[in-house]
Amino acid sequence: MAYVATRGGERAIEQSERLFKQELGTITPAKVKQVRETMPYLVDRVMGEASLYDRDVAALALAQTGGELSEAVLLLRAWRTTQPRISVAKPLEQDELHVFRRISAAFKDIPGGQLLGPSLDYAHRLLATEVLSGEDYTPEPVDAAEKAAPSHQPSVSAWLSSQGLVDDADHDDTAPDDIPDLTREPLLFPAKRAHRLQSLARADSGGVLALGYSAMRGYGQAHPTVSELRLTEAEIEVRHPCGTSFSAGRVKVSQAEVVSKAKGERLERGFAATFGWNEVKCISAATLDLNADGAEKNSAVEEEFFLYHTEGVESSGFCIHFKLPHYVTFQSSLDAMRDAKAKKQTPQMEAAE
Amino acid sequence: MSLKSLSKEWEAVSYGFLDASAKRELRRKMLKAVAVPGCQMPYASREVPMARGWGTGGLQVSLTLMNPKTVVKVIDQGADDSVNAASIRKFLTRVTGAEATWDTLEATLIQSRHRVPEEKLTKDQILVLQVPNPEPLRTVEPNMSIARQMHADADYSRMWLQLYEQIVRSGRVMQGASYPSMVNGRHVMTPSPIPRWDVPKLHMAEHLTILSAGREKRIFAVPPHTRVEPLVFSDVPYKVEEHGDITCARSALKGFFMNEIPNDDGTSSYEVSDSNLGIKALNAPEDASQKIGETWYQDGEWAQ
Repeated sequence: MAYVATRGGERAIEQSERLFKQELGTITPAKVKQVRETMPYLVDRVMGEASLYDRDVAALALAQTGGELSEAVLLLRAWRTTQPRISVAKPLEQDELHVFRRISAAFKDIPGGQLLGPSLDYAHRLLATEVLSGEDYTPEPVDAAEKAAPSHQPSVSAWLSSQGLVDDADHDDTAPDDIPDLTREPLLFPAKRAHRLQSLARADSGGVLALGYSAMRGYGQAHPTVSELRLTEAEIEVRHPCGTSFSAGRVKVSQAEVVSKAKGERLERGFAATFGWNEVKCISAATLDLNADGAEKNSAVEEEFFLYHTEGVESSGFCIHFKLPHYVTFQSSLDAMRDAKAKKQTPQMEAAE
Repeated sequence: MSLKSLSKEWEAVSYGFLDASAKRELRRKMLKAVAVPGCQMPYASREVPMARGWGTGGLQVSLTLMNPKTVVKVIDQGADDSVNAASIRKFLTRVTGAEATWDTLEATLIQSRHRVPEEKLTKDQILVLQVPNPEPLRTVEPNMSIARQMHADADYSRMWLQLYEQIVRSGRVMQGASYPSMVNGRHVMTPSPIPRWDVPKLHMAEHLTILSAGREKRIFAVPPHTRVEPLVFSDVPYKVEEHGDITCARSALKGFFMNEIPNDDGTSSYEVSDSNLGIKALNAPEDASQKIGETWYQDGEWAQ
């Protein structure tokens, strides 16, 4: 009788996937729209980690994975791979951004003013449990200021720089098209400045927070002072092949600049920015950036250490790969272990004599 | 001549999933890897519709090398029907239109996780090994920048020391799979977590082996007729797993790498790890096309 190969594997994975998707039910355009509208900060977070700014696509990824964040980000990154890189947008200066919120912890007041914008910072974190008993929760309406704050604001960094308190960043005249792109080139160390910032921008928010927090608690050399935190919208200005420039729309961008206490005559700076509004990630990432230069090898604030270990798609993928069968490698180790054990139990010839 | 006649119709996804620029980078890095055997070449490593650590490196190499005439075999731990092998095979054939096979002899490209098939590969075949960790020095030096410098200096002293310490402590080298091996007398590489049983199959082989780590973004290669020598001391010979005398409980094959299956009564039974070899052995009496090809090992011994 011939041995019939079981193709159980193929059927099993098919059904397992169906089971997962069945639990989530039908994905409708309405569901995707609801995710996009009710959870803008979650959508922002996955867009940042996916390094792909498209709220509809991000909301779809969240709906399709039931909010399994690492799966949602992977879905977006894989989709991103299939998309062509059409153009590089014009680099922006800080005072060209549309500012919705900007605060500085370094000064009581700053040129342009502290602008609180939307924030839960001073809210009492109380659950609106009445909703569960059938009542709607409607937030109090905003009383608009008599005079709207100007949309464009100078950066605190520019003021620090004008006072000679920080080193001016090295002027980089790389042409926009030649800016190194982490998604098209391998990350090597010491990393290019663009690679480090891009890698932090797409890093896992939780991972960046964990390592950034370790630096803040004291495992890093530099304690951050938030020089400026910004929630903004940036105009994507691209060139048409015929030579004209136009706006392809706006994206939400958050950024943080932190400075350390002066070690010499000047303050040291750390910077991070990401797609979407994600303050925790930017402050943590800027803290890592601040601590990176001259960091001890293999410490949590060393560039290689934190860039590798905060890469969400790589780390989550590797973590779940341990579910795959490893019986060949396990067998190989067992063989060596049993042989070593047998050698110990067999009295050595010399000892016997 | 019009622009339309010179260009292709627009398609939502490129042939073989990866776009032309990704494939070009991979081809260049593969050529570099072949030119400097065993040396790890960094590459961008695109995200593919599979989780990192699940064969994304092997997948990118396969996608780049495959064409509609390719006959592809995908195995995981030696088995064609393993869930992840099934998933990768399905994706590869779907996006390239290539044919799939379970038969090692029929395949022109074999993507494998943790095994080299038992039947000898020929010059017309390419073996793509999935690599979780491309850095053989990782256990002695986790920092990639320092390890890279150590490779440049051919400084493998800590590797040797680690093997020596194992012999002193345990009476033998305790390395199981991923046995560090010197390639072409210059670069130490990890052969990926294949068992020690499989490492000699890469040495002076007829076929090309490409090893690719998608998550770690490194590619390296063993071209045909290239030396792959496990790191050993001259007085402590290299030892493969003691599977030469074990008989497969299902196919009665003997002298190949085996999977150990624990029994309820505390004993173990064994089945041949190269699952299609077992299937062939079972079907051969009734089906002449199921003939087993020449194998690297004969009667459980390495055959020259």
